[in-house]
Amino acid sequence: MKPKKVLVVDDSKLLHRMFEMMLRGFPLVHAFDGREALDRLAEHKDVEIILLDINMPRMNGLEFLTAVKAHPEFARIPVVIITTEGTEDDTERGMQAGAAAYVKKPFRNEELLGVINKLTASPAA
Amino acid sequence: MAAPEQLPPRLGSALDELRATLDRAAELAKEIGTPPPGGGELDSRLADVESDREELSSKLAEYEHQVGRLMNLYVATYQLHATLDPAEVQATIAEIAINLLGAERFVLLFWKTAQAAVAEGRSGECEIAFAQGMEDEVGGVYQNGMYAGGDPVVDATLSDGVLRIGPFDGSGALACVPLTVQGATVGALVILKLFDHKAMLRAEDRDLLDLIAAHAASALFAARVYSNADRKLKTLEGLVALVRRQ
Repeated sequence: MKPKKVLVVDDSKLLHRMFEMMLRGFPLVHAFDGREALDRLAEHKDVEIILLDINMPRMNGLEFLTAVKAHPEFARIPVVIITTEGTEDDTERGMQAGAAAYVKKPFRNEELLGVINKLTASPAA
Repeated sequence: MAAPEQLPPRLGSALDELRATLDRAAELAKEIGTPPPGGGELDSRLADVESDREELSSKLAEYEHQVGRLMNLYVATYQLHATLDPAEVQATIAEIAINLLGAERFVLLFWKTAQAAVAEGRSGECEIAFAQGMEDEVGGVYQNGMYAGGDPVVDATLSDGVLRIGPFDGSGALACVPLTVQGATVGALVILKLFDHKAMLRAEDRDLLDLIAAHAASALFAARVYSNADRKLKTLEGLVALVRRQ
């Protein structure tokens, strides 16, 4: 089975490096803010999951998420918010904006991998 | 209707067969209900296999966790030494503190005379090289880009270079990580508050704090030395070019 392409949107170089190590089986596309992420999505229409930070320059994660969910072509892509904003309100705001899952930093690698595997698993026939 | 006194021979034989079949069925039913010889041993082996499976599953989970932890340490170390730009090294230290340790408020202190501290073992004023979440800080020991002294835990770490993990009475620090180069303490990372969803520093965070103590200082120190040398070199090159033109 062809591995699913993952778009990583985070302004931290450290996190990008971590995802490279953690998601070795997945082809990754990198973006450092929401605006760049929209450009990357337009170039890589086969992205199947998005890992998204909230606090970023230029266009933050929630603005990006709203834009993605309003786009007819990209709205189907599951988005996992990965952020330090950890209150119940933050989680609710993210889920209401259309996120498929919410992971708080710092996270355990196996926790995030579990979420990604669940969201990228092929639907049962 | 009354039963005939004597059954016809064919019917009698059929009844005998039926009786024999029923007896055999009863025997078989009894056998099925009784565990076969050695069944208890099989049960015990099955229980052992189940227990081994559970143990392996828990060991696998632990192994995956350790792999993840080592990977984080590797990535953090790699990223710290990936650049010679002091600002980028500071940003990496901040990213480690925020993303891997869950620190919401912290300061990175660096002796103003850090190079002298390494060379001669002396200290001077401590500047705040980087601060996160300190915007609302009014008064206190971290002011105007400087650490004025006065927090007993921070003072102790800056003085003896020992990593301290709290919380502590009489100190705002949750953890104070010495930044040491060649045995000399050139600064400290002071963690003042964790994110609300991270209750406390865990035992595994100790490895990351040790890593920061060992690598952050040398990476930042090397970047600063390189940056100073590069600035001096460029100044000299500019002067030489000016002299040549004249």
